[in-house]
Amino acid sequence: MSGWWSGAPIRVRLTALYMAVLALMLVVYAAATFLAVRHEFREQLEEQLHQGVESQAAGGDQEPDPEERLQQQLREILVVLVLGLPLVVALAGVGGYVLARRALAPIDHLAAEARRMTADRLHQRLSVPNEHDEIGRLAAVINDTLARLDQSFGQLRRFTADASHELRTPLAVIRATGEMGLRETRTPAEYKDAIGSMLEEVDRLTRLVETLLRLSRGDAGTVRLSRDIVDLGDLARDVVTSLGILAEERQQRLEVAADANVRVSADRLVLRDAITNVVDNAIKYSPSGSTITMRIEADAVEATLSVTDEGPGIPAEHRERIFDRFYRIDEGRSRGSGGAGLGLAIAKWAVDANGGRLSLASSGSGSVFRITLPRSGPRANGAPDRGAS
Amino acid sequence: MVRVLIVEDERKLAQVLASALQAEHYDVVVAATGEDGFYRANAERFDLVVLDLMLPGRSGLEILQTLRQRQIDTPVLILTARDGIDDRVLGLDLGADDYLVKPFALPELLARIRALLRRGRPSDLLRLKAADLEVDLVARRVMRGERPIELTTREFDLLEYLLRHQGHLVSREMLARDVWKEPRRATPLDNVIDVQMTRLRKKVDLEGPVRLIHTVRGVGFVLREGEP
Repeated sequence: MSGWWSGAPIRVRLTALYMAVLALMLVVYAAATFLAVRHEFREQLEEQLHQGVESQAAGGDQEPDPEERLQQQLREILVVLVLGLPLVVALAGVGGYVLARRALAPIDHLAAEARRMTADRLHQRLSVPNEHDEIGRLAAVINDTLARLDQSFGQLRRFTADASHELRTPLAVIRATGEMGLRETRTPAEYKDAIGSMLEEVDRLTRLVETLLRLSRGDAGTVRLSRDIVDLGDLARDVVTSLGILAEERQQRLEVAADANVRVSADRLVLRDAITNVVDNAIKYSPSGSTITMRIEADAVEATLSVTDEGPGIPAEHRERIFDRFYRIDEGRSRGSGGAGLGLAIAKWAVDANGGRLSLASSGSGSVFRITLPRSGPRANGAPDRGAS
Repeated sequence: MVRVLIVEDERKLAQVLASALQAEHYDVVVAATGEDGFYRANAERFDLVVLDLMLPGRSGLEILQTLRQRQIDTPVLILTARDGIDDRVLGLDLGADDYLVKPFALPELLARIRALLRRGRPSDLLRLKAADLEVDLVARRVMRGERPIELTTREFDLLEYLLRHQGHLVSREMLARDVWKEPRRATPLDNVIDVQMTRLRKKVDLEGPVRLIHTVRGVGFVLREGEP
């Protein structure tokens, strides 16, 4: 029974349910009507009997038995009710079925449209006949999902294309260098140079593959993060210690302005990666003599580490995609400085993985990258914190 | 002579490893299958085994496990292409002494092998020397000839590391891990290493009679008297 019930189409179930309820209501209504009529008749009968007794006592004519007549009338009513009821229910059922089918037809239509969707046709959308009714809302929700899927697929396609481009470039260099090296006999120094150049490209390839692997593990969610209580000020000073020398080379000042004791619960190494990449980015794109400031602030719920530079800023049209993998504002410039355009993508992943947000505000006179993380709880003084995850 | 067994089925890689180790004056035996490797490790005496984990026939982990069960405790360095944590942990748990993830840099492999062979022997060097460069590890003082050299902490650590690997190539990976204590290598750090190395070289080599610190393009650095 339950198997049949859940296996039947909605319109059948709807109609069956509707008929059952209607039948039940009609039966109750009919029974009540019948009982009320019978009660009324009985009272009339009793009255007549009284009158009859009086008239008999007065010696009147004998009429046909009124009780017999009453029973006859009640039976007729009963027959009408019993026969009429199924008929009414059946008619209502047919009507209900037709109605249900009409009401549900747009869903069939939606399903047929959705069935035609494939990864390659994600740009298509379902038609929304009436955006205010339930079906319309459903279609809108599905369309919304499709739009997001479309976007993710687009990103993935772009990523694959970019990745193969990035992988191919070093391969091309290796090949060309090797072929050139073999073309004619050269001096040992020239051979060394050629082999060194090939090794540099191998190194680049290796690092690229490692980074991609990290990102794809991050996507798959197979990276297990530890939860340490991290003092953001310490972490920032740590990054300054390791990257300070790069800023020094460019005569830049790297400063930390930190509120004391701003602690978050995060994977220390992963979070440091994020900060390192953001700061490295700031060093690379800031003019010499400028200042890069790491500012750490906190309110009751969130801690923020912002990296402010005095560089040229990031034009509005690039801001949206600045965290995309392989995205570079200036193709030619960044390759030379050794990046593959993955630094900020790694940073974003690292911040997201720790339950935070990485955002960018930029004007013509510099950029502010802001890492916002949930604060670790009040028990944060060295105690493991589970509340902030 | 130090005997090293290489168990590696990739013919090209095995060849390169063999000639690199031979160039370091090790006596090298190559086994191209797991069976052969296991047979040799079991029957002959080696000072070190370089073991690939993915082998046809008998897996590296299996070989390692059996060797250790038979109380053969030759140091084993495993090579793996999978850098999933589990694989490494499993290998180390089964008794491997060290591991390297492919693709690895040859200088790194050589350094690891030297470290494994050195193990157990105290390295109680208090002074390191190369040509007229002298480093006192206790007082943390550096002299080039008669001239004292002021170094930052990081520069000192870097110089000490180069001196300890004197005559051998040192890759950026090794420096990142051993001097900077960074478990992961990243582009920013590579730049840091290069800048730091340039500064160290300026202080150490600028006025010396011979250049000591050399950059080997595409590989890393080496501290050595004369040309690299």
